[in-house]
Amino acid sequence: MSPLSIECTDLGRVFRSRKRRQTEEKTALTDVQLGVEAGELFGLLGPNGAGKSTLIKILATLLLPSSGQAKVLGLDVVGQAGSIRPKINMVSGGEHSGYGILTVRESLWMFSQFYGLSSRESLRRIDELLAIVGLDKDAHTKISKLSTGMRQKMNFCRGFINDPQVLYMDEPTLGLDVGVAKVIRAYMREWMEQRPDRTLLLTTHYMAEADELCDRVAIIDQGRILACDSPTALKRRVGQDSTLQIEVAGGNGFSCLAGMRGVKRSAVTHRPADGRTDLSIILEHDSAVPMVLAALSEEGAGIVSFKKTEPTLEDVFLQLVGRKLTADADAAEQS
Amino acid sequence: MQTLLNNLRAARARAYVRVIGTNRELSWLVFDILLPVLSISAYIFIYKAIGAPEEYGGYVIIGGVMTGFWLNVLWNMGANWYWEKQTGNLEIFFLAPISRLSILGGMAVGGMFQTSIRAMSTAVLGALIFRIPMQVAHPFGALVAFVLTLVALYGLGAMFASLFLLYGREAWHYANLLQEPIYLLSGFYFPVRALGFWVAVGASVIPLTLGLDAMRQLVYPHHGMGLLPVGVELAILAGLCALYVGMAGAALRTMENLARREGRLTLKWQ
Amino acid sequence: MAVRLLKSVRTSAWFGWQNESNWTDPLLFAGYALLKPVASSLILVCMYTVVSRTQPQGSLFNYIYVGNAFFMFVANIVFGVSWTIIEDREYFQILKYVYLSTNSVPSYLVGRAGAKFLLATFSALAILLAGRFLLGIPLALTTIRWGLFLPVFVLGVFSCIGLGLIMAGLMLIAARHGGVYAEGVAGIFYLLCGAVFPIEVLPKPLQALSLYIPLTHWLEGIRRAILGGSISPRLAVYNDAQLVLILTATAVGTLVLGWLSFILLDRFARSRGLIDMLTQS
Repeated sequence: MSPLSIECTDLGRVFRSRKRRQTEEKTALTDVQLGVEAGELFGLLGPNGAGKSTLIKILATLLLPSSGQAKVLGLDVVGQAGSIRPKINMVSGGEHSGYGILTVRESLWMFSQFYGLSSRESLRRIDELLAIVGLDKDAHTKISKLSTGMRQKMNFCRGFINDPQVLYMDEPTLGLDVGVAKVIRAYMREWMEQRPDRTLLLTTHYMAEADELCDRVAIIDQGRILACDSPTALKRRVGQDSTLQIEVAGGNGFSCLAGMRGVKRSAVTHRPADGRTDLSIILEHDSAVPMVLAALSEEGAGIVSFKKTEPTLEDVFLQLVGRKLTADADAAEQS
Repeated sequence: MQTLLNNLRAARARAYVRVIGTNRELSWLVFDILLPVLSISAYIFIYKAIGAPEEYGGYVIIGGVMTGFWLNVLWNMGANWYWEKQTGNLEIFFLAPISRLSILGGMAVGGMFQTSIRAMSTAVLGALIFRIPMQVAHPFGALVAFVLTLVALYGLGAMFASLFLLYGREAWHYANLLQEPIYLLSGFYFPVRALGFWVAVGASVIPLTLGLDAMRQLVYPHHGMGLLPVGVELAILAGLCALYVGMAGAALRTMENLARREGRLTLKWQ
Repeated sequence: MAVRLLKSVRTSAWFGWQNESNWTDPLLFAGYALLKPVASSLILVCMYTVVSRTQPQGSLFNYIYVGNAFFMFVANIVFGVSWTIIEDREYFQILKYVYLSTNSVPSYLVGRAGAKFLLATFSALAILLAGRFLLGIPLALTTIRWGLFLPVFVLGVFSCIGLGLIMAGLMLIAARHGGVYAEGVAGIFYLLCGAVFPIEVLPKPLQALSLYIPLTHWLEGIRRAILGGSISPRLAVYNDAQLVLILTATAVGTLVLGWLSFILLDRFARSRGLIDMLTQS
């Protein structure tokens, strides 16, 4: 068994704020137990506000835990932050770090200097990384002139500049178009394959990203880790169950599904654009299908499409939490 | 040794941003030359209106020269972390294995180029426009006073910076608030003795107070408006250098820990 | 149209006040609003005392003191209108949304400066009260010529708004450190319009220039209304009616120039894509 790169024991974090002389508390993490081995590309999957970024900030030594302990490469994040920092790096999605007045190459050089790299070595790495993400033609463009995707590519390069032992990627593909996100995902995988002793902790609320990239995934919601395993093993948990995706027109509330015999979980997503509704239903057995269809008919819902799918991490989340992960993401995007 | 080298590299990199910034956006040149001259002109005209001897114009010029360094410390070093936090740079600085003082030092050194041009143009243009005699009676002493003042001032600035880790906009407002009271207490535009001996001695915790007074005594030795003998003032300034530089490191560590505990290191728009 | 403009000013004034005041508790905020201007006035008191070696008094000191108190409005309004551009663009990063949501950016800027106007009012009052009760400057509500003071004061505020809009236009095309430009312009007026010394102290060409600036006539009018007279021979040649007339013409001219220059610079900024640029160094 590989040594643990990241180890969390009973980790908790509470944010306190004072408003009108009253202290308000918000619990971001509760009793987190986590072990990530060297060489793993580990995913933290959860909706917005689940505690993913808080956990990353603690592991990156930027935030102290309120309770419990966290270790990175065997070093305590509270007392040994100075020894951890040379060995880690972090990239956050949507960040605007850097100085608009510098070019991409100058900016990356500046950040590389914080890790003690010689200028020659850092420029070599910068050119290599820029070529990988396809930003080499814009190496001499000022940051203030970059598009969101280009800026994120630059920040992505910054994360690899010191060739860290442990790399935290906090929603690195957030808001990026499919092409840029694909490049970034491909490099993460390649980097891990070339350096089997490194660790990459990825937070995301995109299930496909976690499914595609991660060796293991922890599902986190409301500050708690609900499950942790490989994507295949997690999906196997709902594997015996039938998962239905039904698109209906009409109907109202679909309360008939809750508590129906044979139905384990269900999620309802209304589509205001065309007035239709998507239903995700996990059944205990296929024999429950006729009953579901009959109930929908009684609700006045006309079935537009019906399919039985292979379980996804979305279904795992639905089974564990009782709601869809994408519903949170959609709600967040709409707000 | 390697740690020192890494920190020097970090300081050079942060200074580079400032130098490049000033070279690529030259509009500051006009304003950094024009504004201070305007500012000292107003005060020199006041002295003319109330019939003061012309050395008072020299006092104002010396104050105007040091104003640039004070503003560099206050706004381009300490308060700048307020902006760094906003853009997300601050968390990257703190993620890196370097001393916070190296980043602040880089900011200060990078800003020094701009500030020095401002200081020199204020001195030269002020003396030329108003025909104020500026023969420095004791140049070496004045240089020592200048260097000691700067070191103590930058130490104080680094201590201020620690406040910006914890408090964002609030600290920015405090820095803004402090500007005029410090002009008053340090005697930027008049001999500080005018405040009364004990008030002036109390105000000497600000390195500029004694620095300005010593420099004025060394430029105009016969005017007799000094607060304390120059030797005493230089000795106190040397003490302030050690005190503030020493305290800056400790203050930064303490405030960083507090900011990490309260989750304010990465908190924006606070 | 006018109603929408007024609504825009009102909403932005509310936002400006929230932005200015919400960072601390009211008591500390009051200290903040008062300490800074009182310190700047005390600098003048010390300068006067150290030269005259007596308690500051006399018509020249009163002239300096009152001019400095009212100059708070110039510094705050000009800076308030123009700094909003830098703050919203670089710090809050909402300038682009302001453009989308308001039908008149200049009216938004004027509203945001409303908070600064309130601050300047507190500050000027504090300085004047300190002058009255600590330094014995002859100020009394009953001796103020309100018929002169009120129109002159309003016209001065309009002039400041006009200057602020010119600066705001420049901020649209300037980098972040352009924030000091507004202070620079305030400094130029501090020097040229005789805020803290009679304009006769200035070299002759600057004296002539001073007469074209609305703020020179504004401060002269304010001093006449509050202190009862003028000590500037060059301005004393105008009677009160002439002074108000000159002030009206120059204030309206400044306001129109400010509005037009903002529109032109705004068009230039949008053509270059500068509305949401970030220029920190």
